[in-house]
Amino acid sequence: MAERRINNMEKIRTAVAQDLLSGRIDLLLGWEKGLYWWQSRPLFARNSEDLQRLTWDSFCVANLSGYLQEELKENKKIGILLKGCDSRALNRLVQDQMVDRERVVAYGLPCPGLLDPRLLKQEAGLELTALGIEEGEDRVTLTGTKGKSIAREELLLEKCRRCHHPDPVGCDQLLLPPVGSREDRSRFHQVTRLEEIPAEERFAYWSSQFERCLRCYACREACPCCSCRECFVEQEEPRWLGKAHENSENFIYHLTRAFHSAGRCVECGECQRVCPVELPLMELSSKIIKDINELYGEYQAGLDTEQDPPLLTYQPDDPAAFVE
Amino acid sequence: MTKYITSERLPELWARLADRGPLYLPVNEGTAVAFRAWEEGKEVNLEAVNSTVSPKEIFLPAWETYLKFERAGKKLALAPADANGLARPVTAFGLRPCDLRAIELLDLVFVEQDPPDELYTRRRKNTTIVALACSQPDPFCFCTAFGIEPTDAPGADVLAWKTGNRLFMEARTPRGEDWLEENSRLLQEAEGVEKPPPVESADFGLALEGLPENLKGRFEDPIWDQIYRSCLGCGICTYICPTCYCFDIQDYGHQEQGERFRCWDSCQFSHYTLTAGGNNPRPTRKERVRNRFLHKLQFYPERYEEFGCVGCGRCLRSCPVGIDMVSVIRALGGETVAR
Amino acid sequence: MPGSFLMPLVVTVKEIVTETPDTKTLRVVGEKGLPFEFQPGQCAMISLPPVGEAIFSITSSPTDREFMEFSIKEAGTVTRALHRITPGQQLGLRGPYGNSFPVESLRGKDLLFIGGGIGLAPLRSLINYCLEKRAEYGQIDIIYGARSPGDLIRKEEINRIWPSVPDTRVHLTVDAKFEGWEGHVGFVPSYLTELAFPPENRMAITCGPPVMIKFVLQALEELKFSPEQVITTLEMRMKCGVGKCGRCNIGSLYVCKDGPVFTRAQLDALPDEY
Repeated sequence: MAERRINNMEKIRTAVAQDLLSGRIDLLLGWEKGLYWWQSRPLFARNSEDLQRLTWDSFCVANLSGYLQEELKENKKIGILLKGCDSRALNRLVQDQMVDRERVVAYGLPCPGLLDPRLLKQEAGLELTALGIEEGEDRVTLTGTKGKSIAREELLLEKCRRCHHPDPVGCDQLLLPPVGSREDRSRFHQVTRLEEIPAEERFAYWSSQFERCLRCYACREACPCCSCRECFVEQEEPRWLGKAHENSENFIYHLTRAFHSAGRCVECGECQRVCPVELPLMELSSKIIKDINELYGEYQAGLDTEQDPPLLTYQPDDPAAFVE
Repeated sequence: MTKYITSERLPELWARLADRGPLYLPVNEGTAVAFRAWEEGKEVNLEAVNSTVSPKEIFLPAWETYLKFERAGKKLALAPADANGLARPVTAFGLRPCDLRAIELLDLVFVEQDPPDELYTRRRKNTTIVALACSQPDPFCFCTAFGIEPTDAPGADVLAWKTGNRLFMEARTPRGEDWLEENSRLLQEAEGVEKPPPVESADFGLALEGLPENLKGRFEDPIWDQIYRSCLGCGICTYICPTCYCFDIQDYGHQEQGERFRCWDSCQFSHYTLTAGGNNPRPTRKERVRNRFLHKLQFYPERYEEFGCVGCGRCLRSCPVGIDMVSVIRALGGETVAR
Repeated sequence: MPGSFLMPLVVTVKEIVTETPDTKTLRVVGEKGLPFEFQPGQCAMISLPPVGEAIFSITSSPTDREFMEFSIKEAGTVTRALHRITPGQQLGLRGPYGNSFPVESLRGKDLLFIGGGIGLAPLRSLINYCLEKRAEYGQIDIIYGARSPGDLIRKEEINRIWPSVPDTRVHLTVDAKFEGWEGHVGFVPSYLTELAFPPENRMAITCGPPVMIKFVLQALEELKFSPEQVITTLEMRMKCGVGKCGRCNIGSLYVCKDGPVFTRAQLDALPDEY
């Protein structure tokens, strides 16, 4: 398996090196290793030396599509590595006319789902520094323990456990064989659970969550849908949102953000993944997606760029019960 | 004076301390850990290294109101707000040595630099600090690079450490003595001389000597172009950091009455340095990231003769794109040991 | 008192002078006249709740004992609110903040003031201070420019009062030709070059928009003013005024506390980030 990974890495590097070194692209957005084996971080590669650091592993979690808007100001053409979720973000940005698709070369990386270091630590009962992993087809072996082996599905990041489309869509090329769609996974089980509890309890739940918000706006900055040049948060005249870290203000921030990305959220889960205090932010977007599906029929943003987004179209027979 | 309490009696201690005044200590909040005022039902976590958000918020709350205003016609009346929690004695329990050191760095700004900040200073004076020695550093810890001893906290009133089932507490100041004395009903005398068990902490091979001096001519170094590039421009690093202290001042209310508060602010935000006239001396993420790291590694040493970082490792753990103090120091060449 | 240095005094606006379409001067008084003592070049934080606080340089001279003046250009939310008030309005005021112009070391020297637009506001405090103590200072030249004649502030002083003081000259300029304007036309830095004051025993003091300051510093260098002979005052976004809230740093200095007045020599030792 380790061998297959190395082969994969060479395949990826060769493919992108060709384009970067020939000048077809000026910049490659990918990942490199961070401080530890369970951390990978964004890489901005411009030459073959940079490419030596390129990594594709189970920790390449950052969605790179958010960098495109800024980087396209300085670069003519950009190559970007995209997982399934990331590719939908690119498609969404293109559909919003925020990114010129002609200036992007999208390399798709079918994704087996990324691993959650916290779960690895929990399963091993060891500090991650004393641990390693070997990845098989569907199982992960924890080295450093007595060879404990666990189903990969059990070790996935929360955002990957609900992913239906691990294969990138709309890319210029797929660099690895497709892994197949995963519609067997449950996207809405958490939302359904929340919907079932009484409104008062639900309010108490969200209050206790939002109360912990630091207002660092990492959810917004990491979100590929939050592409406004100036967010309502910063607007001063009128000032929509106060700076007090008061819970009513926190509510306004999170709910406004969720509604503003309604119909555009591609379910990449970056909002929740980056949150330093681990607020369950995906449930807000999931709830809106679920409602849109129920009202206007199934729609998954960024999947099919030809399909009209339901919130951007009007049909005379659109259900309107919620305004009556 | 050294005393101890066994783990199962800790809830009694919390209840007693909280009776005396606010008791801040690390509690679980989902999978995050934060310093909160104790109340029945809170799940205390004395194992976490380090809390997700630093305990600076005990002394510099995320937001606090300090004045109330009333307007009637052209008249304006201003009055100081009730200083919440400033009157009663506070206990801050379980600060790790790095976090306590960070508070001492904040003291340089808020207490020692004239004029003293009264909100901060009063909290600081009212608070007995019980530091907790580390028994198991986290992979992200690098306090030793800044000369911090993970099992010692020179600035604490009381130093606590765990050995097996016992939590030992040694008074370090007269206030610490009084504090132990007040709680002696729940504590037992330690037999013999007890010391925190030694631990090792990583320092990532950082070599910091001469770094501030070295950085002086490197404001325009092309390395900053690489360092900042993946930065999202969020405020995580600044809000979880124990030594970041920037704040904003804002009004809240309507035409007739309201209040003025200060709240945390972040040098990573685009509007932080934007003037009303539209001039922004730090217009992009590059200038903002550079300012944050130079503040810790050059400007703080220049102004206060101390590094503005304590190696708590929070940015190493929480930056979503892996821009952290260790990576940046390495990029700037502050490293002797080959990786 | 909790937060005492953040606690403003209540002051009353006694008079409002409309200087230009976008600039007004507020005259404020405390309970006993001048709200507090200060030095030329220092700043104060004005607030009008619930709109908030903003920092302004004090434009009157400390030798004015009756009131304190602030010339305020409409730019953001606070200034917009301050432009809508009428005399009698009470405001919050705290200060003074920052260092000040080195009035002692300027003594006996010829002074060259170079101001642009609203940048005259902090200079005016020092100009009036020096004119009040006229015998202590040498020749005084004031170069002042704005986009248009209508944008020049303190018209009474620049046109009539200052030029009538012995050994004091005012050199006005506007950016472009305007009907009825018979004075100099051109940007401040080029007018400075044209006038070519010799640097001997002269100090230059400048304030204006950042881009003007940049070119003025260049022009002074060409005129052979040494970095120690050039003084400027900087503008940054500020909140606390006492070097704690963090945002107005240039390197390890805080403009609100260590500035706003810097010599060119001091600026040269700082990162270029202002």
